[in-house]
Amino acid sequence: MDSQTSSKSQPIAAVLLSRAHDPDEAKRILTEKIQQRPLFLHATSPPPSDARDKRRREREKKRLSRKKALKPKPLSANERRKLGLYKVPRSGQKYVLFEPLHQLWLGYIREILGQEIHTGGEGAAAKLTSADFHGAEVEVVRSGCVSRVGLKGIVIKDSRFTFEIITRKNQRKLVPKEGTVFRIEVPVAMTQTTETTTTQEGQSEDKKEQQPQETETPKMIFEVHGEQFQFRSADRANKKFRAHFSKIL
Amino acid sequence: MLSFPTSSVYQSSKCFVTYGVMAHLDPNQPPSKSKPWSTFDGQDFINRVEVIVPQGIVEKVQKILNEKAVPEYKRVVMSLHDIVSGDFYTRYIKEGDVMMLSEGRRGIDNVFTLRNGILTMFLDKEAYERAGIVGKPDGVKGKRGLKPRWVVEVDLTSASMVPGKKGFDRLIYASKNAFGTPITWLFCNLSSTVPNPDPLAPHSPTCCAVEPSVQQNIHVMLPILKPPVEAIGLEGREELEYFSTELYEWLSLIRLQSPRVLAGDQIDPYLCRYQVPGDGLQGKVCKLTWQGFLSPSWCRQMLLDLVAELPSKSWFSFSTTTFSKGMAGDNSEVSLFRPQEASGEYVLWEIKSHE
Repeated sequence: MDSQTSSKSQPIAAVLLSRAHDPDEAKRILTEKIQQRPLFLHATSPPPSDARDKRRREREKKRLSRKKALKPKPLSANERRKLGLYKVPRSGQKYVLFEPLHQLWLGYIREILGQEIHTGGEGAAAKLTSADFHGAEVEVVRSGCVSRVGLKGIVIKDSRFTFEIITRKNQRKLVPKEGTVFRIEVPVAMTQTTETTTTQEGQSEDKKEQQPQETETPKMIFEVHGEQFQFRSADRANKKFRAHFSKIL
Repeated sequence: MLSFPTSSVYQSSKCFVTYGVMAHLDPNQPPSKSKPWSTFDGQDFINRVEVIVPQGIVEKVQKILNEKAVPEYKRVVMSLHDIVSGDFYTRYIKEGDVMMLSEGRRGIDNVFTLRNGILTMFLDKEAYERAGIVGKPDGVKGKRGLKPRWVVEVDLTSASMVPGKKGFDRLIYASKNAFGTPITWLFCNLSSTVPNPDPLAPHSPTCCAVEPSVQQNIHVMLPILKPPVEAIGLEGREELEYFSTELYEWLSLIRLQSPRVLAGDQIDPYLCRYQVPGDGLQGKVCKLTWQGFLSPSWCRQMLLDLVAELPSKSWFSFSTTTFSKGMAGDNSEVSLFRPQEASGEYVLWEIKSHE
């Protein structure tokens, strides 16, 4: 209890106190406040009653840490940045590299739409909303920020609020979805004559156009309102779209 | 113009009266910077010009008209894309000087004007967002939340507006995608030369020559045609106000061909209390009207010729009216009156509308 150093005549506390206060005062403080106070060196914890308890406690701790190690924790921001999942290297920033992806996407969309590609309308719209847009060639047709109008490229990343596209000039552009309308054209592989129909559903508008020349195949053109489309592509798969108030319309 | 704060509430047109002296006219250096000439130049597209002269000097006016070329304008249906591309663009806009006005009213439709090489587009929100060219907000700040409108100005005579440059390509993109529909335009070629072959020919324009319609020998009661002497000076403001209001009213009634100013008009004072102010003198006047798509420079030149040719003792009146802008349909107007026996003096009325 009393921490008396054997070598010195006075305890260290008394020495320090005598520097700050006069001798009587220092002595009073030492005896009243310091000498009798116990100094805890570690938190009070009940000592293990016996070895068996101690062993049990050790086993529990080991089991919990094992479980934690198995469950995957989400990556922190630093870890994500280090992994560089969304980095596109300079060598990879070429439009021609993504063209095969675009062709794949066209095939995928034709497969999803099936016969709806000729008729358009609500059925096609429902299928398109749950489709994935990586590899689609989008063109910004209308935007609250007018400098974005006219951007055209292949989607390389579809995040919650933006499209990252690569333009023909090998530039990566990050286009926010807010207040922007995107137009996507899907050439129909077949050469039958098609009718034009226009319908509107919630957030995407479908339009079909037939090219006047015989050399061009007819295309299905639809417009996507980015405002209503602000979901990650994974989340969009099962989402039911309801028409929300749109500032544009 | 004094900078009145723009308000969202409709305000009636305002009239500014100036009573001044014209500087001496040098035929080699026609004036353009001083009043009243600068006022006439400051208008944009003139719809109507009216000249009222006493009957005695009509022959001189006819002489002036015979020497000058008849102004003409064309009505043509084109899309904006036709204007900014091809032969029309290089010949008329880049090399020549033209004035064009599209159909529509500024607060409601998309209106395009081309003047001094500057293309101005008055667009609604959707057209602006689809066009993709940066512009300025148009309209009262308080009211813009509901239906914001935009003004886009593009200087087509600048060196960067050639095919291949980014700014110009954006304009071409906008004209193809957002403004693809053909609209009716009024076209006026301000330069004296017409390029050959005429780039306008494929669009089959309708040519309209603006001949004046003359009304002669209108026998009217004349008011006092000289401003009172007290009108000059700070204390004479009221006299000037009375004089100018009465004179403007009389001139307007002549322009409207109202029977109330005719000599020998007997109308029941219950129906109309107007009486021509003055001593009851009578005289004959003649009115000439040009109606069409006229340029302010032509109007200024016409006024110069009138001032130079007509005898300095006689009075005359010259007024120009612009096309109306905006929803209310008001137009602005500038009228000039040269008093009798006061050569060099003039009274100028500027009517500025709300928009």
